Amino acid sequence: MVNLNVNGRAVEVNAAPETPLLWALRDELKLKGTRYGCGAGMCGACTVHIDGQAAFACQMTIGDVGGSEITTIEGLSETGDHSVQQAWIAEQVPQCGYCQSGQIMRAAALLARNPRPSRQEIVDEMSANLCRCGTYPRIIRAIERAAQEG
Amino acid sequence: MTVDTIRPTRRGFLMGSGALSFALLASGAATILPAGAEAQPLPDGRVTAWVTITPDNRMTIMFGSAEMGQGVSTSLPMIVAEELDADWSTVASEQVSSDPEGVYGNPMAGGVLFAAGSSSVEGYFTYLRQAGAQARQILIQIAAAHWDVPAEEVTTHRSTVLHGPTGASMTYGEVAALPDPVWPSGEMPEAELKPRADWAIMGTDVERLDIPGKTTGAPVYSIDVELPDMVHAALLLPPVEGETPTLNSDAAARAVEGVVDVIVMDHAVAVLARSFPAALAGRDALDVGWTETSPFRMANSADELVALAEAADDMSADAVVWESRGSGPADFAAAGVVTGTYTTEHVYHAQMEPLNAVASVDADGMGAEIWLGTQSQTASILIAAAVLGTTPDRIRFHAMQMGGAFGRRTVFAREQMRDALLLSRASGRPVKVIWTREDDVKNGWLRPATVQRLDAVLDAEGYPTALRHRIASPSIFQFAMPDRWNPETRRDLLVMEGAESAEYAFGTFQAEHVLLPRQSRLSAWRGIGWAPNCFARECFLDELAGRAGTDPVSYRRRLLAGSPRALAVLDAAVEMSGFGTAPEGRAHGLAFAGYKKTLATGVAEVSVEDGQLRVHRFWAAIDPGMVVHPQAYRAQVEGGILFGLSSVLRERSTFTAGQIDQSNFYDYEPVRIADIPEIEVRFVESGEPPSGGGEIGVPMTAPAISNALRRLTGEGSTRLPFPAQQA
Ligand code: FES
Ligand code: FES
Repeated sequence: MVNLNVNGRAVEVNAAPETPLLWALRDELKLKGTRYGCGAGMCGACTVHIDGQAAFACQMTIGDVGGSEITTIEGLSETGDHSVQQAWIAEQVPQCGYCQSGQIMRAAALLARNPRPSRQEIVDEMSANLCRCGTYPRIIRAIERAAQEG
Repeated sequence: MTVDTIRPTRRGFLMGSGALSFALLASGAATILPAGAEAQPLPDGRVTAWVTITPDNRMTIMFGSAEMGQGVSTSLPMIVAEELDADWSTVASEQVSSDPEGVYGNPMAGGVLFAAGSSSVEGYFTYLRQAGAQARQILIQIAAAHWDVPAEEVTTHRSTVLHGPTGASMTYGEVAALPDPVWPSGEMPEAELKPRADWAIMGTDVERLDIPGKTTGAPVYSIDVELPDMVHAALLLPPVEGETPTLNSDAAARAVEGVVDVIVMDHAVAVLARSFPAALAGRDALDVGWTETSPFRMANSADELVALAEAADDMSADAVVWESRGSGPADFAAAGVVTGTYTTEHVYHAQMEPLNAVASVDADGMGAEIWLGTQSQTASILIAAAVLGTTPDRIRFHAMQMGGAFGRRTVFAREQMRDALLLSRASGRPVKVIWTREDDVKNGWLRPATVQRLDAVLDAEGYPTALRHRIASPSIFQFAMPDRWNPETRRDLLVMEGAESAEYAFGTFQAEHVLLPRQSRLSAWRGIGWAPNCFARECFLDELAGRAGTDPVSYRRRLLAGSPRALAVLDAAVEMSGFGTAPEGRAHGLAFAGYKKTLATGVAEVSVEDGQLRVHRFWAAIDPGMVVHPQAYRAQVEGGILFGLSSVLRERSTFTAGQIDQSNFYDYEPVRIADIPEIEVRFVESGEPPSGGGEIGVPMTAPAISNALRRLTGEGSTRLPFPAQQA
């Protein structure tokens, strides 16, 4: 049993402390928007915020994050209207969608820390996340749009 | 009220199993009557084929095919909505999971539910326009009857029926709510469908219906399905294809907290647990031996490449003629014949959602409910029935949207569903099988390696009077679809398509396939045969143009002179890119490549810095006939170009003694955002019927990049991936 703070709520997770955060979110807390892509810190499909920083949920255990504020895609905004989400719709970014929770979470963390990132800063930050469908051109455009309109 | 009964002529639209098929549904819905039947009061049962309209004027349009990111959940309903004169803002869409009455299948895929080969819009285009036009006709007839006016006087506009002479109007929702009888509507002749100039929905950049959900984490893929009492399964799969396990001990696995059961299967050992991490920990704790007798223990990808190269060069090796044009055999052994050899290595799909399936087998073992992301619902249902030894009607199938597919989830992907079924039957519980990324990489069904040899007999100006394109490769088709493989003709379209070079006039031309035994599991990969085959041909043509002292554009213009569509995309790409005017230190390269009926030309702008190839810009001119949904099509082209770039830069699966050497994205790494060029896509519509966009980005990309490299450094790459990237 581990106590976590997820999307602003205190929750109890009935799992061992060494359980990967990814699977605790998905299967114990039923927050399925955080995706499994590689389990190896190589794809970013599992990206969440830990105290506002983008992090791979597959690379940490629930024991690691007991004292942290965890935000998943479900908690990024109440109604899906975060500036990054709006920009994602405006630029029609997603294709299959599987990587997109992670992309959006990483982009949101970037903009929170650096509201006017350069093209190079966007590319550097977003290089942690794979998109096999090839939505990268639109991801760049959407982050630039969110930076402008956000 | 009397309205002429139009005789239904096409079972697919109107006559599912002799009863009602196409209908507008509400409480008090509209339905269709069999030909000749009397009008009757509306049934309040649920009856739908393509369109459902509710009294609040909302509309749901069904789509066949399968959503895997390509956007069919929007583009196919757009086709129906256009002819229905729908208000697009009222439209939602819903995927078809099964089709027992044969209504929803893709006419281009033999009428089955199947999404592959960029065939959805092309295959469904006319069919869905007719379905939309029929639905509109029904609404008109209901309204005309209600108003007691001639149907010919009733028109429609944006989900409203109008009667000009009286000024009466109703929304479609109001029509659907009428308690009136409904009259059948017949097949709509193609000639009566809207011409391109009248399109109001098609050809516009409406927002994709699936995108808002995809920004909030809401989509449910099969990997997300949860059922009461469900267990998670991790499978210990054979190290080498075809080997069988011996369980030495499962004591340690069973001791893992959360492990529920260990089940030995013919081809795997499964650990069932209350959570996936527990299943994985249990799998790690298994002590299992394998037969180690698979013939694939002899299979090495490096050896296969050598064997393919030898076969391509050995003119005594048996070759299947794929395409032959012109006047008889040419002498390719003569002096002055120019030869080029090109090699493409094995590649893996790397769809972002690892393969998985959920199944819940009925207590009698003879039926099941299944959740699966698949490119063919029809094939999956048949396979599921075969696994259980039952009939398809006992399979309740849920076709889930897919986290990418790229060829991996066509008929080729059935193992997870089979295993979920077998494990559910054995355990008496619903089972979710997930392959880890490592399972997915190590058990990939690869696009095979090819070695391609081109020989050209040239005239005095350096243009081919004869050309032979000889491809050495194992057969995908024979392995992946053995029941449809013809051992007499041995025609493998999954390997060979694209090699016909239909737009080019090469004089005497022959494309041929030298088949070698497979050394790995095989399947098609985005771009199918067109990607490797166009790579070889387009690189070779640039070589020939260079020898002729001619620029690659005018060289191709002459060879493509018989195809106005080809010339149009070639000229457009040249114009967009300012071909040949690359900035200092960079160069442009060009390739013409089709995919079935879609034609394209791509131009790459590259540089090499510190030995690193860099693609800065890519321009693509595409003729897809007509474009139904431009922004989604453009997204497909962008994705295809990045697939092609990925095959240039890094993608390579290798295997040693029958085991794939790579494991995860750290040693099989698709392109990342830092690798990508600026991409510009332009449509050059010829007005032909729409043709697909899923593959077309891939075939032009690698040869355009190689040809740019050649112009920059004097040497292009004859291999995919480019070996220079390792330098
Ligand atoms: S699943 Fe965590 S980085 Fe890929
Ligand atoms: S949208 Fe499919 S992997 Fe990114």
